[in-house]
Amino acid sequence: MKKLKPSRLLFYIFITSFALVWLIPVFFLFLTSLKSNGDLFGNPLYALPEEFQWGNFVEAWKEGNLGMYMKNSLIISVIKVPLGIFVAALAAFGLTRLNFKWEKPVYLFIILGMTIPFQACLVPLVIMLNKVNLMDTHVGLIFIYIGFGIPMATLILYGFFKGIPNELDEAARIDGCSDLFLFLRIILPVALPAISTLVILDFLATWNEFLLAQIFLTSDELKTITTGIMSFKGEYSTNYPLMMSGVLLSVLPVLLVYLIFQKHFVNGFGGAVKG
Amino acid sequence: MKQEVIEKSVPISSPQKIVRKTELKRTLKPILYMLPALIIYITVIVIPTFYTFYLSLFEWNGVSVEKIFVGFGNYINLFTNDTVFLKGLKNNVIWTVLSLVFSMGFALLLALMLNKSFKGRALFRAVFYFPFILSNIVVAIIWVWIYHPNMGLLNELLNKVGIDSIPWLADPKIALYAVFIAATWQHVGSSMVIFLAGLQSMSKEPFEAAKVDGANSFQAFYNITLPLLRETFIIVFATTLFYSMRVFDIIYAMTGGGPSHSTQVLASWMYYQGFTLNNVGTGSAISMILLFLVMIIAVPYILWQGKKSHV
Repeated sequence: MKKLKPSRLLFYIFITSFALVWLIPVFFLFLTSLKSNGDLFGNPLYALPEEFQWGNFVEAWKEGNLGMYMKNSLIISVIKVPLGIFVAALAAFGLTRLNFKWEKPVYLFIILGMTIPFQACLVPLVIMLNKVNLMDTHVGLIFIYIGFGIPMATLILYGFFKGIPNELDEAARIDGCSDLFLFLRIILPVALPAISTLVILDFLATWNEFLLAQIFLTSDELKTITTGIMSFKGEYSTNYPLMMSGVLLSVLPVLLVYLIFQKHFVNGFGGAVKG
Repeated sequence: MKQEVIEKSVPISSPQKIVRKTELKRTLKPILYMLPALIIYITVIVIPTFYTFYLSLFEWNGVSVEKIFVGFGNYINLFTNDTVFLKGLKNNVIWTVLSLVFSMGFALLLALMLNKSFKGRALFRAVFYFPFILSNIVVAIIWVWIYHPNMGLLNELLNKVGIDSIPWLADPKIALYAVFIAATWQHVGSSMVIFLAGLQSMSKEPFEAAKVDGANSFQAFYNITLPLLRETFIIVFATTLFYSMRVFDIIYAMTGGGPSHSTQVLASWMYYQGFTLNNVGTGSAISMILLFLVMIIAVPYILWQGKKSHV
């Protein structure tokens, strides 16, 4: 084995200490969630638990109604993500592959929406949803989520579709392919890498969204995990172990997705943003 | 297999008819594909934005039937009478500058370190990126606990080395910076990943040439890496800027804009004016100012994006 050069060693020490500092909050979260209240107040915060309180998780799950909130978030994500991406993909297909005259102005018009803060639309959206009786429903929130997701999804898919060689279309058309067939059977499968990155990013954004869920869902039984954990935090504001167990549980689905699709995140994300 | 079916379904008609038909099709077909996206987008974002502008010209509590037209009165009032608004504006500027200097700088530093190939690189990358997958609310809850005045980890560690406890989130002078650190912890990873993608897409040739010419690594970084990273810089710059101008969740969940409005930003003040205090006109005016500020930077950026992807 080669011996480590001093500069290499220094580099390792440097980056490892950075990484350790970065992990402290997460480590601290774990530690707190596994302690009893007495242990937390009686011993140093950074000490290991006297006894691992796995029961905290069971209690937090039940007391915090986390199952219900997660189910709501899951329902919303599972409908929103594919539907939103499909709608954006249709638009990107129309923009890039059908010789559309006003391709550029329409494209810019759509992606301009990326910069509009939620706040600039909130009050009219509340009025609108009240008018059509969709206030405090998942359907209403999903509709709004899809709307706000369209600019970013269109940007990413437009960029990717542009990179697909036109010869593919020509070959398909010679074979007598219709436009819809071209879209569903050729362009979408070819764009799968971009789409899967988008699915993950979109799932994450939907799962973690707070402001819109807070405003458009008011009944407790409809709340998402983000707004649910916020009210859970309010109720157990002094019971830190329980609060942290709840927080940890709420993160698990996202963590799972992250661990499974890690490559997509790190490699795909940069590429996706670059468009 | 399916091709035969489609071939049969194409009707046979005179060449003239086909030309006219395809011309019409050419304009209508693409629009048909864009229609669902356009309708939803216009309903959710475009119309509400214009309607918010309309509302910003009125004094309205959101409930009563009558709206009182005040013209640009709400805007004038914000700039002349509302000290919290001005504070929020200032905080947005501070937040943006801090993000552009520290978060971006740190993200670039991490990306440069992780761009080398070494054992465990993927693991380090995952560690720094990890906080980005958490929701702002979760990050807020964790950091409020770390900053807890009597029982928080940070103060306990400070006490251990003989420093008195600091009321991180309760001191108007430092609360904003304390929240900023939490936000940076969460966001550095995402900028880092974009920088990394930029670094990894560079070709090795100029660096090899520089090596032959005897350039040291700093010279190579300054003269080759930085200029080649220009495009990536613009992307990170723009996304950081948009996020900083619109920052809301983490402030709302950590301090609620307090203590004594010291961490209020435009987005949070809009929320309080519009939804807690029911001053819909004032809230709308604030969001229009926010929109205007974002647009100043966003429009050139979007045009640049459009040009770039049109190559």
